Amino acid sequence: MAKPFHLTIARIGENIFDDEAVKLELPGTEGMMTVLANHEPFISELSMGEARFEAVDGKSYHVPVRDGGMVEISNNQATVLL
Amino acid sequence: MALKDIKSKIQATERTHKVTRAMQAVSAVKMRKTQQTALEGRPYAHAALSILARLSGSRALSAHPLTQARDVKRVALVIITSDKGLAGSVNSSVIKSAVEALAESLPREEVAVYAFGKKGEEYFARRGYNIVMSFENKRDDVPRSVVKRFTKDLTESFVEGKYDEVLVAYSRFCSTFEQVPTVHRLLPLSLESIKFLVEDIVPGKGKWSDLSPLSSPPHYVVEAKYTNVLDSLIPRLVSTSLYHLLLESKASEHSARMVAMKNASDKSKEVTSDLTRRYNKARQSVITREVSEIVGGREALAS
Repeated sequence: MAKPFHLTIARIGENIFDDEAVKLELPGTEGMMTVLANHEPFISELSMGEARFEAVDGKSYHVPVRDGGMVEISNNQATVLL
Repeated sequence: MALKDIKSKIQATERTHKVTRAMQAVSAVKMRKTQQTALEGRPYAHAALSILARLSGSRALSAHPLTQARDVKRVALVIITSDKGLAGSVNSSVIKSAVEALAESLPREEVAVYAFGKKGEEYFARRGYNIVMSFENKRDDVPRSVVKRFTKDLTESFVEGKYDEVLVAYSRFCSTFEQVPTVHRLLPLSLESIKFLVEDIVPGKGKWSDLSPLSSPPHYVVEAKYTNVLDSLIPRLVSTSLYHLLLESKASEHSARMVAMKNASDKSKEVTSDLTRRYNKARQSVITREVSEIVGGREALAS
């Protein structure tokens, strides 16, 4: 089983997801990227598209990224701001 | 006063009491709900802030157009009030503090007003200020679309140089009994002012007063350029701040209304008991008079 990391996906005034996840795929400005546990500290803008992630229970989710966003990763914690 | 008049007055006061008590209960619920919403929005603000804190040492941030302080010649004022009254002095005190903040510096023509809530809009429109945008503050939540439009217009105009400063006048929520009218500088952006806001969103005491400290993450790898990241981050911080200010004003409005209605309910109760006493006295005096008339009549007949 893949190692988990903490994932927070939030929109202004609304928390979409805040729990352990094992895999996260994001539309970065330079193409899709995949985040797994223990990723290095990282910041990037997101472009339009769709964020996909897999929760620790194996369920996968899709969240549309409509007008860009940001991702920040540090200490095995990924934060996606939409 | 005649008996009947007193009685109808008692009934009217009781009806008022019912209304004010209901409004008090409704405001209490709404206040709690707004606080809850404010709390749910905090992870976002926290995350955005910690990213900014990490980048704050970089030259890109101090060179970013939205952080540049200039000589203040033109000001945009965002005034956040409620649509409805019956909320004690929240609105008037916010307006007062906004006017005081403006009067220090500027003639009316140089002020652009962005109004959220009718009370503020009416006030500034009557006095000949230029109202650029206005929104009704009717709903219980804060619509994201409004926050977005405010942010877009304010940041773009600031970068173009249409405004040299953006101020927000709102009512800061300290506790249920204390709301402080505050004027906050939204742009040019500074880290301290945003930090203040995020930490401020939680009341000092009570159920939701715990606060996890802001973590300062290690060194980052940045995809693309710092400037691009900042271009996307700073407007987000501006809208988060705005969103929180709007929510705080909402919480203040509801709590002020709750307190005002509580006072009204207490007062109406007092009035009712006063009136009841008067009613009983009047009734008693009528009875006494009648008895003494009968007794007097009987004695006149007997003698």
